Amino acid sequence: MSGSGVGVSFRPGELEVRPDGTGNLLGSRCRACGAHFFPVREACAGCLSQDLETVAFSTEGILYTYTVVRQSIPAFEVPYILGYVDFPEGVRIMGQIAGIEPGDITIGMPMVLSIEPFGTDDDGNPLTGYRFRPRETN
Amino acid sequence: MTDVHVVGVGMTRFGKHPDSDATDLGAAAFLEAIADAGIDPRLVESAYVGHVFQGMVTGQRILAQVGLAGLPLSNVENACSSGATAIREASLAIRAGENDVVVAIGTEHLTSKFAGALTPDPSDPEAAVGATMPGVYAMRARRYMEEFGMTREQLALIPVKNKSNAAQNPLAHFRKEITVEDVLESRAIADPLRLHDCSPVTDGSAAVILMSDTAMKKYGNGRAIRLAASTLRSGSVDVEPTSMTYEPLTWLTAKEAYDKAGIGPEDVDFAEVHDCFSIAEVLRVEGLGLFEQGSYPWAVERGEANIGGRLPINPSGGLIGKGHPLGGTGVAQVVELVRQLRGEAGVRQIEGARIGVAHCRGGKAVGIEGAACTVQILVR
Repeated sequence: MSGSGVGVSFRPGELEVRPDGTGNLLGSRCRACGAHFFPVREACAGCLSQDLETVAFSTEGILYTYTVVRQSIPAFEVPYILGYVDFPEGVRIMGQIAGIEPGDITIGMPMVLSIEPFGTDDDGNPLTGYRFRPRETN
Repeated sequence: MTDVHVVGVGMTRFGKHPDSDATDLGAAAFLEAIADAGIDPRLVESAYVGHVFQGMVTGQRILAQVGLAGLPLSNVENACSSGATAIREASLAIRAGENDVVVAIGTEHLTSKFAGALTPDPSDPEAAVGATMPGVYAMRARRYMEEFGMTREQLALIPVKNKSNAAQNPLAHFRKEITVEDVLESRAIADPLRLHDCSPVTDGSAAVILMSDTAMKKYGNGRAIRLAASTLRSGSVDVEPTSMTYEPLTWLTAKEAYDKAGIGPEDVDFAEVHDCFSIAEVLRVEGLGLFEQGSYPWAVERGEANIGGRLPINPSGGLIGKGHPLGGTGVAQVVELVRQLRGEAGVRQIEGARIGVAHCRGGKAVGIEGAACTVQILVR
């Protein structure tokens, strides 16, 4: 789509991608109490305020846990590594992990958000999604 | 307010039923429950039917199959807690004074609907990145191992126990005992979980007939077991990341049930819990307050959760051994509780059992701890 090869976000409401290949996961911040949520919500679960703004989350977090998925649905080629990353805003987000062998992964390691090709739409056009990669390798 | 009594129970064999469907299986379970209650089916005043992937009005198809038309009937979907939710709704109809005789049925013909790993609904952001239910539980297992030092071998003792119980249960999907080595050598599904750690894709149905005090006086058969509590909760939205090795949702659902029944976790004699995966049994029993957090794998090692142990868990074989036909599961748990409390569990009988707990937990949605959780307490 663009010169950099960054196409359309696979989930535009949850992942913002820019032509330079950067991007952010999106969620909500409660203007009343400061709580953050992923994905975007209509009201705050902490205080029920509906005064929420959509914010872009940090791109670095800490790995909470992970697995290697070896059986999945046809849309996903196995094996792949799946993990939960805790971001400083106080949200935990699931994503695939790339750039490291499973045996080298440790809980608590720093991870960064990486904007990458991720599947195709119904017409076969490539989409852009995200993975997490260990901070050391970037 | 009236008490609620389980007067009749029925359950098909759990397993693969290629020549049957969710309607036939549900009808068979219903007819067995009616025969077990020893009542005229026309006494049934309303019906609640739990199922997940069986399509519209499966409950009406079942009752049409057995000649009962015209009843108020609700089809209930709450993922793996669908059948248990049907029982709760049925019990509420009685407690509210609306009905005196109600049937709850759970049914699923899963082998014709799906194969492989169950995933969250495709609309979910986690499904979009490749979440599978085994994957999510594998991540919880990994975290539990990290926090509490549980070994892979200890975790394997849970499927070994549950399949040993299932081997003694003529209605169970799996009838073969396995060893720790069998678990560790089975196919990897989502590290560290392997095939034997996972509940199977199962067809099956179960049904229970519930009665009020008034109906019991007229139609009771002397074998009723009291449903002392039936509670349901949905998971809270995470305001900040919470532990994935402890289940506040399970505890809150259980606490409400314990309070309603006037008991505490220390009074429970045995439990059927939602062991969709081996690690899930650990998280459930600790969430229910039956075992201290971080202690259950060692208790299993000591044999405390065996039939004949201090607190038997999943004497039926559980979801791992007996099978997991989503809608059927929660109702089948109550069938097991009733048979144990009546003293009709045969070689699996837990001697002197007076109080049993059934726990289901189903569904996955982004940002909430769990979707639907149920706890039922049955008292002899």
